[in-house]
Amino acid sequence: MKPKAVPLKPSAHPKQPAHPESFDLRSPSLVICLGPGGVGKTTISAALAVHAAVIGRAADVMTVDPAPRLLDALGLAADSSEPVEVPLEGIRHARRGGGAGRARLRALRLDPKRTFDSIVARYARSDAARDTILENRIYRNLSGALAGVADYMAMEKLLELAADPLTDLLVLDTPPAAEALDFLDAPRRLLELLNSRAAVLLGAPGGLFRSQLRLVDIAARAVLAAFDRVTGLNLLGDIQSFVRSFDGMYEGFSARAASAQDKLRAPDTAIVVVTTAESSRIAQAREFIAALERAGLRVAAMVVNRVLAELPDAAELSSARIAPSVRKKLKRNLADYAALRTREQVSLSVLRNSLPAGAVLMVAPELGREPRTIADLAEIGQSLRPG
Amino acid sequence: MRLPRVLFVTGKGGTGKSTVAAALAIALSRRRPTTLADLDRRLSAAAALGARPEDSITVKVTDSLEVIALTPRAELEAFIERIVPIRAISRRMLRSRTFGYVTAALPGLEAFLLLERLRIMAGDAALLDRYLVIDAPASGSAVELLSVSAGVKGIAPAGTLNRLAHSVATFLADATRFGAVVTMTPEDLAVREALETTAAMRERLGIVTVAAIINCVPDPLFDASELAALSALGGHAHLAVRRNAAHQQAAVAAARFAAAGIPTFSLPMMFTAAMGAGEVEILGRVLDAEMFDR
Repeated sequence: MKPKAVPLKPSAHPKQPAHPESFDLRSPSLVICLGPGGVGKTTISAALAVHAAVIGRAADVMTVDPAPRLLDALGLAADSSEPVEVPLEGIRHARRGGGAGRARLRALRLDPKRTFDSIVARYARSDAARDTILENRIYRNLSGALAGVADYMAMEKLLELAADPLTDLLVLDTPPAAEALDFLDAPRRLLELLNSRAAVLLGAPGGLFRSQLRLVDIAARAVLAAFDRVTGLNLLGDIQSFVRSFDGMYEGFSARAASAQDKLRAPDTAIVVVTTAESSRIAQAREFIAALERAGLRVAAMVVNRVLAELPDAAELSSARIAPSVRKKLKRNLADYAALRTREQVSLSVLRNSLPAGAVLMVAPELGREPRTIADLAEIGQSLRPG
Repeated sequence: MRLPRVLFVTGKGGTGKSTVAAALAIALSRRRPTTLADLDRRLSAAAALGARPEDSITVKVTDSLEVIALTPRAELEAFIERIVPIRAISRRMLRSRTFGYVTAALPGLEAFLLLERLRIMAGDAALLDRYLVIDAPASGSAVELLSVSAGVKGIAPAGTLNRLAHSVATFLADATRFGAVVTMTPEDLAVREALETTAAMRERLGIVTVAAIINCVPDPLFDASELAALSALGGHAHLAVRRNAAHQQAAVAAARFAAAGIPTFSLPMMFTAAMGAGEVEILGRVLDAEMFDR
C-alpha cells in the first residue's frame, strides 16, 4: 500500500479548541482504550501503537486477552508478561526511513495473577506474610476470579511501564467492560475491600475505626457468619486471616492507587473510547462517555471501528458493458449496502452530536479481513481519519 | 426439532447475540408460551422486543411471550433478605457500602445465586410447559458464569452449598432440561470463538450446544460466472464479492458445526436503514421456519 500523509496530524494550537481537527498521537505519553466488548479494542490499541512507532515514537502496547492471530502479529507468546520488541523493518521502509531514531514498538500481554503476586511480594512485610497471602484460599479466588482484579493489575503494570524513561508512549488496551469506570475505578474498589472498615467488619484486630462499628457492619458480619454456618464453608476464618495479612500493606497499595488516579488525569494522558457503528454499541459508548465526564475524566477521542468503506458510484453501472440481469443485481447490491451505510451514518451523527468538548471523532474503515500482521495494523493506524 | 426447555444464548460480542435471543424467543413463542430472561444490564434483548422490564418483574410482550430482567445483584439482595430476617437492617445493609464487602469476600456468590435462580425457573418452565430463553453474557463471561458452580463445589467440599452446587451442575449438564445456543456472524473470529465456546462448555461443564445460529448472512445474489465477468467494475465488483464471500463463509461455518453434530440455522442480513422491532419480528419468523418446518 502506498503511504499517504500522516493522517493523525497535530492540532494547530496547543490549547484545546471546542473539537480538535484530529487525534494527535505525537503528544500523549499514555493512551487508554476503553469500550464495550467485541468492538476491536485490542486491534485499535495495537494499530495506534504501531502508528506511533511509524511516526517516530518509542511506543509500548499492553494488550489484554488478544485474539491468537493478533498475538502472532505482535510476536507475543502466550506468556509474554514482559515487553517484547516487535520488528518494524518492513513498515519503516514503506515510510522511506521516516521517523526519528527513537522509533520502536514493544508489546506485552497482561497477566493479572502474576502481577498481583508480584505486588503482594513487593509490599508484604515478610516472606512469611507473603506466603500466607499467596496460599490463602480467598486470595487464590480473588486473584483468579474476582472481577476488577485484572483491571487493577493493568493499572499497576501501567504505572510500572509509564515510569520507563525510554518509552514515549504507552498504549493500554483494557478488558471489555460493562461500564467505563469498571476499569478506571478498580484501584479504589480494591482499596475499599482492604481498608480498615472492611478489616473491622471482617474481624481483624486493631482497626482504627473499631468504635465506629455500626449496625450495618454487625448485620453484614451476621450474614457472613450465617452463610458460613449454613454452608459449612468456614470461609470467615480464611477471610479474616486474608485481611489481617494485608495489614501494613495498605499504605503501599493506597499510594499506588493515588498515583494511578493522578496519571489518568494528567494532561498528557489521552482516553480513547472505542466502539463500532452498531446502534446498541453507540448507545453503550455514549454511556461510557457520560460516566467518564461525571468522574472528571476527559475523553480525547472516540474511535468508531470497522465503518463501511465509501460506496462506488451508481452512475458507473449505467455505462458499464454488462448483461442487464447482472446490472439489475449490481444495482440491488448497491442499494442494499447503501441502506447499511445510512444506518451507520445515523449512528455516527448521533455520536457526533454528543461528543464531549475537546474530543474528536475518528473512524477506522473496515480492513475487509482479520488483521494478521504488523502491516495490517499499520494500515489501520494509517487509515484512521476524522469522522 | 426437539429442544430443552431452557436455552442459554451466548456468542462473541458484536455478533448480535441479543437480537438473536429476541428472535429465538419470538420463534419459540409461536409454538409454546415463552419467557425471555435478559441477563444483560443494558436489556438489549428486551429492548429488541420493545420491553423495558425492571429487575425480577415479568413484562408481557404478547399473549405467549414475556420478558424478565435478572441481575446478580437482585439475586444477592433476595438472598440477603432471606438470611437477615429484620427487614430494616437488611434494607440499610443493601444501601450501604459495607454490602460490597460481602460480595467481594465471597467471589462468585452473586453469579452462583443467579444460576440457582435459573435452575428454579427451569423447574417452573417444565411444570408450566414453557420455553425459557436466556440472553446470557458474551461467550468468555458466559463460560465463567457457568463454571461458578464447579468453583463453589471446589471450595465447599460438603454442606448445603455443596449440595446446591451439585444440583446446579447436574441441571446444566442435563441436555433434556438445559442447552446452549451459540451465535456468530460469518467472520473468522466469531466462528472460531463459537467453536471454542462450544468445546469449552462441553468439555469443562458437560453442557450440550443444541443449536448454532449464524447471524447477518446475506443472500448470495451472484453466481461464479457473473462474479468473474465483473472484474473491470472496481468498487461494484468488490461489493459483489464481499456479499458472496460472507455467504460462502456462513456455509463453511455451517458445515463445521454440522460435522460436530450441532444443528445450524442462518438468519438473513437485514439490509435496512434501521433495525427495529419489525426487523426482529421478521428474524423470529425466519428462525421459526428454519427450526421447525425444515
